[in-house]
Amino acid sequence: MEGVADLQTLIPPRTTSRRVQAAIEQGIKAFFGGNALVAIIVLALITIFLFREGFGFFGQNLTNLRLYRQAGLEYVDIIRDVSTQHEALSRKLSDIRLQEARAMEKRSVPVEEINATLAPFDQFASAFGDTAENLRTLVSDLTDQASALKESLYARAELAAQRAQLERSGALAAAEKIAVPAVDRATALATLHQGAATFESVSAEMTATLYTLLAQAPPLPDAAEQKTFDQWKTRTREYLAGLPKASENLRTWSAETPIPWYRSISSFLFGRDWVTASFWQDWYGIVPLLVGSILVSIVALFFAVPLGVASAIYVSEIASVHEKRFIKPYIEFISAIPSVVLGFFGIAVVGQFIRAASQSPWFKWISFFPISERLNIFTAGCLLALMAVPTIFTLAEDALRNVPRGFKEASYALGANRLQTIARVLVPASLSGIVSAILLGLGRVIGETMVVLLCAGNRIAIPDFSQGLGAIFQPVHTMTGIIAQEMGEVVRGSTHYRALFMVGLVLFTITLGINYLAQKLVARYRMSIG
Amino acid sequence: MVNIIEMPEITSPTIANQPAPSPEPGVERAMIEIEDVDFSYGTHQVLHDVSLSVPARAVTAFIGPSGCGKTTLLRCLNRMNDLIDGAQITKGSIRIEGTDINASSVDVVDLRRRVGMVFQKSNPFPKSIYDNVAYGLRIAGVTKRSLIDEAVEKSLRSAALWEEVKDRLHVSGYGLSGGQQQRLCIARALAVEPEIVLMDEPCSALDPIATAKVEELIRQLKEQYTIVIVTHNMQQAGRCSDRTAFFYLGRLIEVDDTAKIFSNPGQRQTEEYITGRFG
Repeated sequence: MEGVADLQTLIPPRTTSRRVQAAIEQGIKAFFGGNALVAIIVLALITIFLFREGFGFFGQNLTNLRLYRQAGLEYVDIIRDVSTQHEALSRKLSDIRLQEARAMEKRSVPVEEINATLAPFDQFASAFGDTAENLRTLVSDLTDQASALKESLYARAELAAQRAQLERSGALAAAEKIAVPAVDRATALATLHQGAATFESVSAEMTATLYTLLAQAPPLPDAAEQKTFDQWKTRTREYLAGLPKASENLRTWSAETPIPWYRSISSFLFGRDWVTASFWQDWYGIVPLLVGSILVSIVALFFAVPLGVASAIYVSEIASVHEKRFIKPYIEFISAIPSVVLGFFGIAVVGQFIRAASQSPWFKWISFFPISERLNIFTAGCLLALMAVPTIFTLAEDALRNVPRGFKEASYALGANRLQTIARVLVPASLSGIVSAILLGLGRVIGETMVVLLCAGNRIAIPDFSQGLGAIFQPVHTMTGIIAQEMGEVVRGSTHYRALFMVGLVLFTITLGINYLAQKLVARYRMSIG
Repeated sequence: MVNIIEMPEITSPTIANQPAPSPEPGVERAMIEIEDVDFSYGTHQVLHDVSLSVPARAVTAFIGPSGCGKTTLLRCLNRMNDLIDGAQITKGSIRIEGTDINASSVDVVDLRRRVGMVFQKSNPFPKSIYDNVAYGLRIAGVTKRSLIDEAVEKSLRSAALWEEVKDRLHVSGYGLSGGQQQRLCIARALAVEPEIVLMDEPCSALDPIATAKVEELIRQLKEQYTIVIVTHNMQQAGRCSDRTAFFYLGRLIEVDDTAKIFSNPGQRQTEEYITGRFG
């Protein structure tokens, strides 16, 4: 009891009243709480804004798709598709010729002789190209007709909208002045429909010519090229066999077939084309951008994961104190490099280097080398790897360091060497921590903009996987890149503008998912260690 | 413990008067011979001139107040101190069956296989019970399933854990109680068939019932193994050890048969410590 009495004299007497004290505490609480609240509100506002701007896309895209059908653009595209396939076959022919000429050059056949040998083939190729002449004319005629119809439909819709707005605001007189022209869609579509008959005759003629031509196809001197050529012939036959199907499609096609609402969503999520500001038809398909982002991230992780995790293991388990003091800040410093500088470095150094390396004779054995594009998935992936390494390294090192010392000691005490201890105890014990480090690295890579905008080549196309790994040396565009590049130029409220918001939303969902997963893993890891 | 400061400085003559402990009287066959060992962490010397013989197939207890160097000495016996930067024996030698364990020809991996260790805090790996026990064998390169199965069962039986876990060998070692986890760690150490088992306060985190089980186990294990146990618990040393060594401030004060230490200690500090006047 005495001790307690002594203690009371030690505490100074209360100078402020209880009420003031409470008020101060309330104030402090409000200050911190308020800050947290602001952060939450801002995040909520961003999300709401994204959704509001983004979801308008679906309605507008549906109108866009409906116009595509109503104006008969879809009809023309059936024929255009046939023509495009023909062009692809034609291009393949010139590829074959190039390959053959190269093969002969390797056998040191003189140029004159090459040309002489390949003359029949050249004739064949040009004859093949000519067969599509009528088809091309048809496509171009129909394109004009459909465009005109679309234009007038579009203009009418615009005027109607203006008039409706004036009427709503009560300016009836002004509204009267706006004359909404009648568009004779039926007649225009009927004219368009005559294309089917023309197409049938054109394709019949082409089929006949091509079969005769195929029968007279000249042989090639090299077995490998002959094989490709034979494959080409099979493809051409398949193409010709598919022509009646196109005719069939043309005959059954109707501008009045309704487009279901979900097409607006599916054409965005699964659409393979991203075409904007086109005179013909805009397409907002996220697939090429998504594939671009994913491929770039895969390449980046392919390099960053081994680098980051291995250096984390080295620093936490093997390095001496001096090495640690040097390596750790050095790797963490990488994250201080502005991404635009990295991108610049990528264009000027890495891209150049990769292309130069691909031309060197050492890499002749790689089938898809030399590469033509300096800026491609690989270049961007290499640089993004550099950005992901510090994230992965820091977090993986944390995870490894948090493995209880007892595990390590027990392992050594049982006669394990360092490598066994790392591989069998330390890494398994910190695995979920390491995986979450990798996921956060992935989140960083997918969300990165500047480097991919500068280094990925910005060609909006799904890479051609027919070359296998060669696909990663092709340029792509990414989700982040497209937003950065196009957002500045779009008209506010247009379909394009909203499409970009949708891309942003998809990106947001992906990164949110990755982060959530990573946090789940970290929580599990803490539990298993705890 | 606070009283340590008030203790009279240990005079060097006390140490010098110690009889040369090698070969110690009362030790018929020494498994481990520690001779004049000085040990430092960097510049901080924690062991001074320690000489001691550990008899084979018996339990030797190291007692003494915290910071007296008993755990350090224990960790010298399987060179666990190698893992700490700057920690080293600066003088003297430790011989196990006549071989200097710090000689450059000695493979530390082999040494640790011969000298197993159980730690203060039970530390099963985050693996199944089976994998925990099999770990030592697997890293030693044993791949034959039947051999591992056999060794796992044998070790778990030796550690008196088999009956309790035989139906759940493949669940995580973390599902066991504290006492069971510690016995699992003992089984893990026994699986590689060491000759010596070092125990660093193995019961400090256990309740009395679990402690009793582990002590019973220790008494059984000395039939086959040489055991060195570090403990803070005087009664424990009295109950399960054959010889007891008392350390104070990095020096070995006294080592003798446990019965003698507890009934008739030769040194005043020993008597004061075991009767609870300090420490």
